[in-house]
Amino acid sequence: MRGYISVFKMRLRMELQYRGAMIGGILCQMFFGIVLVALYNALYEGKPQSVPIENVATYVWLQQAFFRMLLATDPDLVDKIRSGDISYDLCRPVNMYGFYYARIMAQKLMGSLMRAIPMLAVAAFLPKGWGVSAPTSALGLLAAIPALFLGLLCICALENITMAFTMKTLDPRGMQALLNLLMMTLSGNLLPLTLFPDSWQKVIRFFPYAQLMDAPIRLYTGDFAVSDAIGIYALQGFWAVVLIALGMSMWNANKKRMIVQGG
Amino acid sequence: MNTLRLYVKSIGMLLRSHLQYPSSFIMQTLAQLVMEGGEMMVVILLVDRFDNLKHWSGGNLYFFFGLMAVSFYLTEFFGRGITGDFPSMVRTGRLDTFLVRPRGVLTQVFCGGTDPRRITCIAVGVAALIMGSILSGISWNIFKVLILIESIAMSCLLILGLFMIEAIFSIFSVKSVELVNAITYGGRSACQYPIDVYPLPLRALFTVVAPFALTMHVPASWILDKPLYGWPLWTAFVTPLSGAVVFTVMTCFFHLALRHYRSTGS
Amino acid sequence: MSYIEVDNLKKDFIVKKKREKGKLLREKDTVNALKGVSFSVDKGELVGYIGPNGAGKSTTVKILSGILTPDSGEVQVGGLIPWKQRKVHVKNIGVVFGQRSQLWWDVPIIDSYNLLKEIYKIPQGDYEARLKELMGALQLEELMRTPLRLLSLGQRMRAELCGSLLHRPELLFLDEPTIGLDAVSKIALRDFLKWENKQYGTTVMLTTHDMEDIAALCSRVMVLGHGQKLFDGKLPDLLERFDTVRNVQVKFDTENPDIKLPEGVEYKRSEDGIILSYEPAKLPTAQLLSILQESGNISELTLQPENTDRLIAAMYKELDL
Repeated sequence: MRGYISVFKMRLRMELQYRGAMIGGILCQMFFGIVLVALYNALYEGKPQSVPIENVATYVWLQQAFFRMLLATDPDLVDKIRSGDISYDLCRPVNMYGFYYARIMAQKLMGSLMRAIPMLAVAAFLPKGWGVSAPTSALGLLAAIPALFLGLLCICALENITMAFTMKTLDPRGMQALLNLLMMTLSGNLLPLTLFPDSWQKVIRFFPYAQLMDAPIRLYTGDFAVSDAIGIYALQGFWAVVLIALGMSMWNANKKRMIVQGG
Repeated sequence: MNTLRLYVKSIGMLLRSHLQYPSSFIMQTLAQLVMEGGEMMVVILLVDRFDNLKHWSGGNLYFFFGLMAVSFYLTEFFGRGITGDFPSMVRTGRLDTFLVRPRGVLTQVFCGGTDPRRITCIAVGVAALIMGSILSGISWNIFKVLILIESIAMSCLLILGLFMIEAIFSIFSVKSVELVNAITYGGRSACQYPIDVYPLPLRALFTVVAPFALTMHVPASWILDKPLYGWPLWTAFVTPLSGAVVFTVMTCFFHLALRHYRSTGS
Repeated sequence: MSYIEVDNLKKDFIVKKKREKGKLLREKDTVNALKGVSFSVDKGELVGYIGPNGAGKSTTVKILSGILTPDSGEVQVGGLIPWKQRKVHVKNIGVVFGQRSQLWWDVPIIDSYNLLKEIYKIPQGDYEARLKELMGALQLEELMRTPLRLLSLGQRMRAELCGSLLHRPELLFLDEPTIGLDAVSKIALRDFLKWENKQYGTTVMLTTHDMEDIAALCSRVMVLGHGQKLFDGKLPDLLERFDTVRNVQVKFDTENPDIKLPEGVEYKRSEDGIILSYEPAKLPTAQLLSILQESGNISELTLQPENTDRLIAAMYKELDL
C-alpha cells in the first residue's frame, strides 16, 4: 500500500508542473461550457422542461470542470504499450494493475481539481440559469462528495480496462476512440443524461458510465434526493468492484499471454 | 497545374501507405463513424425533446449540422497537414526537409498529410444534409446549389485558416494548442447550430473573428428560405468569401512566421 | 569569386530558461550560435566541417541550405542568397540529414523517388537515366520495392543519398552521414561520395564526428567551436598540430625482452603485450621500430592507428571547447 501512495504522490507533483497547459485547458473548457449553456438556454426559451434550466447549466459546468477526470490517459503508459515495453513492466513481481491504477488516479484527481476549482469559481458569478447554482441543500453537497470519489474509482477502473484492450490490439487508436466515445456519450458529457429521452434514462442510469459524473452531479443539483444517496453509493460501489475485478483479470490474462510469447 | 498534380500524387501515395495497415484503418474509420454518429444523435435527441430551436425547425438543425460536418471533415480529409500533422512536422524536423525543396512550404505541408478515416464523418454529414433538406422541404434551384457549394468551399478555407493559427504558434514553438482548440473545435461545436441562438458576444466572435456565420449561416439560412437577419440574396453570395479572406491573411502570417523559424537542434 | 562565400555570419538564438521559483515570467537567455564566421569554398571541393555539439555546425548548414535566416552577415551560394532566393537555390543543392528521413516511411522507395521527380520537376528521360546510374552505384536495385521502414540503417542511408542526388545538385550537404553505420557500409558510402565528386564535380560539405570520414574523404577541414572558426586547412596540418603522441603495441617471443628505450617513451605492460607511447616529432617511427627489432623476436606488432577520437578530444581541450 505504501508503494502505491508514493506513486500517487509523485504523479501529483508532476501534474502541478504543467501550468501553461492547464490555463489553456481551463479557458478552452470554459468556452465549451459557455457555448453549451447558451444553446440550452435558447432551447429552453421555446419549450421549458421539467428539469429546470439552472440544473442543466450546473450539470454542464460540472461536466466541463471535471472533464479531465473523464478523458485523461497516462501518456507514459500509452507510450509503453505502443513501443511494447509494457511487457517488461508486466513481468515484474509487483502488481502492475495497482501501480498504474494509483498513477492514473493521481493524474485524474489532481488534473481535474486544479481545473475545476478556478472554473467553478468563475462560473458561480454568471447569472442564474447560465452559471453554476449553489447546491439545493448542504446535505446534497455533502452527499455528492463521496459519490464523486466512488465515481473516480470507477473511472480509473474503466481506464485500466481500456488500456488492457489496447495491449491486446496491435493498433490501439480505434479501440480507444470507441471506448472513449461510449464514455463521453453515456456519462452525460455530450448531452446531460437528464435531457436524454425519459424511457432511455431508466436504463442508462444503471450503466457503469452513469456512475462516473452523472450520479454525483445529480446529487448536487437535487435531481436525486439525498435520501436515495445510500442506494446510489451501493450501485457505484458495485460497479467499482466489478470493473476493478474485470480490469485485473484482463491485465493478468495479458501478463500470461506476454510471458508465453516471451515478451 | 503542376502543383495540383503533385498534390494528387502525394495524396495517392499517402492513401496507399494508410492501406498498408488495413485492419487498423478499417477499425479507425468505423470509430470515426460512431463518433460522428454520436454527435448527430445528440442533435436528434435535442430535436426529440425540444422540437424547435427558436424559429428553426428540426429539419433546419439537421441541415446546419450537415453543413458543418461536411465542411469540417472535408478539411480534415484533404488538409490534414495543417489541421493535424503540422506540429509534429516541426518537432520531427520534416519542415526542414520541406524547406530544402524547390516548392512552396505550404504546398508541401498540404501534400504531407491526409486523413482518409474522415470519409465516414463526411458521409454522416451528407446524410444529415439530405435529411435536413427533405424535412425542411427545400425547393432546390441552380442558385441554391451554387450557394451550397460556395458555402462549403469557403468554410473549408476558413477552417484551414483557423488551424493555421496553431501552425504559426508551433513555428514559434508556443504550446497553446488547447487555446486554439477553443476556436477550431469550439467553433465547430458552436456553429453547427444557427448563429442567432447565441448571445451577442458569441455572435460577434463567430461573425468577425472566426466568421462561420458568414461562410455558413448566411448562405444556409437563405437556402432554407429564412434569410438570416432578413439580409438580401446577394449577401448569401458575398459573405462566404470572408473564408477566403481569412485563409489569405493567415497564409501571409504563416510565411512571415517561417522567416523566424529556428529549426530544432539535430 | 568562389562558389560558396560566407562573410561574417552571425546567428543568435533566444532560449527560454526554466522558470525559477517565485518569478512570474521565465528569463530568457541569448545563445550566440555563430559569432561571425567567414569562409569560402570552391566548386568541386570536399570539405569536412567538424566541432563539438553546439558549436554551430548545424546552424551553418541550415543557413547555407536556406532553412534558417541569419541575423547578419553575407552568404552567397553560386551567386544566390539562400534564404532570399530559396526556391531557386534549393534546386541546386541536396541535403542529407543523418537522423531524419526525407523519404516516405511506409511506401517502397521507388515511389518516394517518383514523387521527388515531381517535386523537382525532373524531365522523365533525365530522371530515368540518373535513377539507373544511382541505383547501380549505390546498389539499390533489389531494394526498390521495399518500404523504407524495412531497410537497415546502412541501406536507408544509401536510399537517402540516392533521393538527395536525383536532381543532380551542384552542392551536397551531409549531416553526419555515417552515424550508426557498420564498417562495410561506411566504406561503401565513402567510396560512393568520392565517385560522385569526381564524376560530376559535386561540391560536398560534410559535418561529422567521425574523423575517419574526414580522413577518407576531405581534402580540407574546418573546425568550429563556440560559434567561431578555429581552423581551416588540410587534415595533415591539423593532425600535426594536435597529434603529438602515438602508440605501438608489440609482443615478443620471450617473456621479458630487454628493450633499451630512449627517453620520452612511455612503457606499459598489458595482457596483449607491451604498449609504447612515443612522440613522433621527437622519435621518428622508423627509428623506434629498429630499436624494437634489435630487442628480440617480435611475434606481433601493431602501430595503433592515429586515434582520431582522442585527437579530437585533445584538440577540443587545447582550444578550450
